[in-house]
Amino acid sequence: MFGGLWQDVRYGARILLKSPAYTAIAVAVLALSIGANTAVFSAVNTLLLRPLPLKDLDRLVLNQVLREGFDPYESSLLELQAFQQRSHSFVSIGAARQRSFNLIGRGEPERIRGASIAADYLTTLGVKPILGRSFSGQEDQPGGAAVALISYSFWQKHFGGNASAVGETLNLERRSYTIVGVMPQGFDLPAAADIWVPLQVNIDSVPLNERAAFGYEIVARLRPGISLEQADAESKSIARQLEQEFPQLRRGWTVTLIWLRQALLGDYAGRVNKALVALMGGVGFLLLICCANVANLQLARGIGRTRELALRRALGASRSRLVRQLLTESTLLALLGGIGGLLLAHWIVPLLAAINPIQGISLADYFRNFNIDGRVLIFALCVTLATGILFGLVPALKSAGEREVMPSLRQGDQHSASAPGHGWLNILIVAEIAVAMTLLVGGALFVRSFNRLQHVDLGFRPDRLLTLKMILQESKYSEHRQRVAFVDQVVERVKNLPGVLSAGTTTNIPLEREITYDAVFSVEGRPPPNPKDVPITANRLVSPDYLKTVGVTLIKGRLINETDRAGRPPIVVISEELARQAWPGKDPLGKRIKRVRPGQDFPWMTVIGVIKDVKEDLFNYRINRPVWYVPYAQVENNFPVNLVVRTSGDPASLTTAIREAIHAVDPDQSISNVMTMNENLARVLVTERFSAILMSVLAASGLLLAALGLYGVMAYSVSRRTTEIGVRVALGARRLHVLRLILGQGAKLTLLGTAIGLAAAWGLTRLLVSLLFEVNASDPVTFVSISLLLISVGLIACFLPTRRALSVDPMIALRAE
Amino acid sequence: MNSTELIATEQTNASNGNGAAPLIRLSGVTKVFLTDEVETHALSGIHLDIREGEYVSIAGPSGCGKTTLLSILGLLDTPSGGSYALKGNEVANLSFAERARVRNREIGFIFQSFNLIGDLSVFENVELPLTYRGMSASDRKALVTEALERVGMAHRAKHLPSQLSGGQQQRVAVARALAGRPAILLADEPTGNLDSRNGEAVMNLLGELHQGGATICMVTHDERFAQHADRTVHLFDGRIVEDRMAA
Repeated sequence: MFGGLWQDVRYGARILLKSPAYTAIAVAVLALSIGANTAVFSAVNTLLLRPLPLKDLDRLVLNQVLREGFDPYESSLLELQAFQQRSHSFVSIGAARQRSFNLIGRGEPERIRGASIAADYLTTLGVKPILGRSFSGQEDQPGGAAVALISYSFWQKHFGGNASAVGETLNLERRSYTIVGVMPQGFDLPAAADIWVPLQVNIDSVPLNERAAFGYEIVARLRPGISLEQADAESKSIARQLEQEFPQLRRGWTVTLIWLRQALLGDYAGRVNKALVALMGGVGFLLLICCANVANLQLARGIGRTRELALRRALGASRSRLVRQLLTESTLLALLGGIGGLLLAHWIVPLLAAINPIQGISLADYFRNFNIDGRVLIFALCVTLATGILFGLVPALKSAGEREVMPSLRQGDQHSASAPGHGWLNILIVAEIAVAMTLLVGGALFVRSFNRLQHVDLGFRPDRLLTLKMILQESKYSEHRQRVAFVDQVVERVKNLPGVLSAGTTTNIPLEREITYDAVFSVEGRPPPNPKDVPITANRLVSPDYLKTVGVTLIKGRLINETDRAGRPPIVVISEELARQAWPGKDPLGKRIKRVRPGQDFPWMTVIGVIKDVKEDLFNYRINRPVWYVPYAQVENNFPVNLVVRTSGDPASLTTAIREAIHAVDPDQSISNVMTMNENLARVLVTERFSAILMSVLAASGLLLAALGLYGVMAYSVSRRTTEIGVRVALGARRLHVLRLILGQGAKLTLLGTAIGLAAAWGLTRLLVSLLFEVNASDPVTFVSISLLLISVGLIACFLPTRRALSVDPMIALRAE
Repeated sequence: MNSTELIATEQTNASNGNGAAPLIRLSGVTKVFLTDEVETHALSGIHLDIREGEYVSIAGPSGCGKTTLLSILGLLDTPSGGSYALKGNEVANLSFAERARVRNREIGFIFQSFNLIGDLSVFENVELPLTYRGMSASDRKALVTEALERVGMAHRAKHLPSQLSGGQQQRVAVARALAGRPAILLADEPTGNLDSRNGEAVMNLLGELHQGGATICMVTHDERFAQHADRTVHLFDGRIVEDRMAA
């Protein structure tokens, strides 16, 4: 048997070498498809499948607190304690709180990302230091030792990877911490942390309103046999208990558990997952188109080889023997395509990594490494073999399956309009067009959706804005007036720099991927109609010129100015959406609103201005969310300060001058996240951009391949029908008749494929609904324009063969004698 | 001149009878093929008149120019020199569309290998030239049925060519040539792909058509079949070397 197989392989190789043009085209088409599949799978593998440096990742979940059932927030100590005491779904529960530290004494002051973690955090994740030890339970108690763990990269950067780092001290926030361990390479949870210190919290002793404050990441490891759904149901039940026990704090709030991997991708709404599934579907469709194309080539060749195959049957070859031979040929072809595909994928993968769709910032080394590993290679091999069978089976069965041998032998390779197998060519090309139609509609919907998202009115002018973050040291700026003075001095110095048009500060820049600050609000004289409602607004504390600097649009009233200082009547500038929610149909100017927080009393603030809605919240980018702007000087806070500078030229060119201006005010002040506003915005729609780029490339490839396939079938048809066309012309057919004959055939195939594709697209695009923004999944403009595009391209593909048909010499009818 | 004028003069020429202008007149027709700067004279100084109702066979050895002459007569090719008048009208320099129109209305072709279209039924094959004429469906049906009945193939109208024998296929091809009531039937080796029995049957059919008034010009290299015609034109090296009436 193996001897026969080897003979088939050798013969198949000879056949492929005999037709280098055919082989090259088929290999190129297959390489394109297998390469695209492999590349997209490498992304899926990296983002969804590849192991991360966490033990049994598929058992780890993250808790989120949801406002009104949809708006995700971090957790609080309230949930942590409730889960620890009441939940039976988890083996262990850990908590962490993002922090950042001013590191001094090691060169220029540096802002280091870090976290305070409960001792259980690392054990829950299943991570141990590679050097030294983790925190002990005692160290995690209030008043415990000042100890720290450092990341592998921090260890390399600051200690050159020297083992003696353990035991050394770090000056963080003007406090000395002893390094007790080094974490494994690549591990940086939560939020790209480089330094970990113990949480040192006794929850019972924390005042209730602080216990209920969000800002903690709760991770848990599911107990064996417990599913995510079961654990989620139990957690929701606990959340309901909390709602009853602490109605003033938790009315209108619930919780949800999501897989930690999903959270690490920043995929709280599940869009990355869905987008990757849609893309796998897209490349799968491309594979089908390629298979249909190559199957058509094989069929056409099979028709040309009728005599050879009939002869083999006459010499005693069974049908199965011929099928095996033909399948060996197609598998050889697929393997060549697979090799080409892997080379292509090797080239595409870095491009994919460059448009990585993840929003998360942790484990970046893992999530940005789209390399082709063993799993991807196995996938590529499976796709290659499946492709070989898929495109080879129909032609093989068809070519080897003629019942009568003699007619084929007599007919030999004689051309005939109704050659056997021609019907299959038509079926395959119709299928190809239908699949291309589906792919194109999907791609167009993604592109339209992305286009809409890109053209969403941000409510401010992002051009020529430079932003940077400053976290003021608590030890140095313990009083709010000190912070206000610092901000005033920095803004004043920066405003006077050449090339600076204006400058201001805010506690969060719009759409940033950091912790953002919200506030529950209460409207004077108007309690919420539904007690379950949690009216919330983005809470931004800004310097006088901030709103002018970012370029908001004032609708009525005025913006915050220099007169709005501490000691003056509290004022607020609100967005249209907040005005609509707080005072529907009424003029909000002069009305009063305040922040609500259990255990605290905030002053009423008078609305002095209304501005057009500003996109402040990354998660809620697709909707208009209320936002208010309060003078920084009027509200005591220790939030980070973000400096925003509008420049007359390239904003990045002023970075050094601005750094110097800040350090002139405070030489120890760390500066981080220096970027232009456009760089910040570029990270906003990464998932949507990833999907739109890939789907449009896939759709364009599908269109091109379908057009090539149609061209091939039509060209083949014309070559088979040359004599027929000659006869028709001899009988009096004019150009119009020939045109109608050939173009009509192509148009029929195109229209039929388009119609089937329309129906398929209508069905399949329902699955994309949650990924689309302001575009209906059955958007008539998209469906009609894509149909017209496909029909036009189809007719263009038929044009060259038609031209050839028009030039057929009727003498051929006589020469055929 | 355009083809509309040609059709309009049909009645006038027909009424002239045998004594009037010939149906076809070739005067000094030459055909030169240029291949790699080598001139091949396929036809040289052909003078040939074919009158209405004549049955002419063109005979000669392979490569003597028979098929080239037939293709010029059938407006499938243009002469390099000389003139070609069909029904008294010059046709050598008509446009592609006009030539197609004249071919469709005035000339009926019978090919050696039948050249039936495999995807079309017998009826549709015969109907094909009539569809190019823009004729109504009912008129086409009447003409096709009549043509098929004349060749004895009406009972196989719904069959595909592949379901017929060679002889039957050639009868269908004759019906297709006849259906449009052309001025002349051009037959190119009509028995070349048939066995002797079927060949004889097709020749008898052509004889019957001639008896019925059809003008036929047939190319053959077989002397036996050439003798079925009233007149035989012998070609040799692209020239007419003999033009004789049957005894």
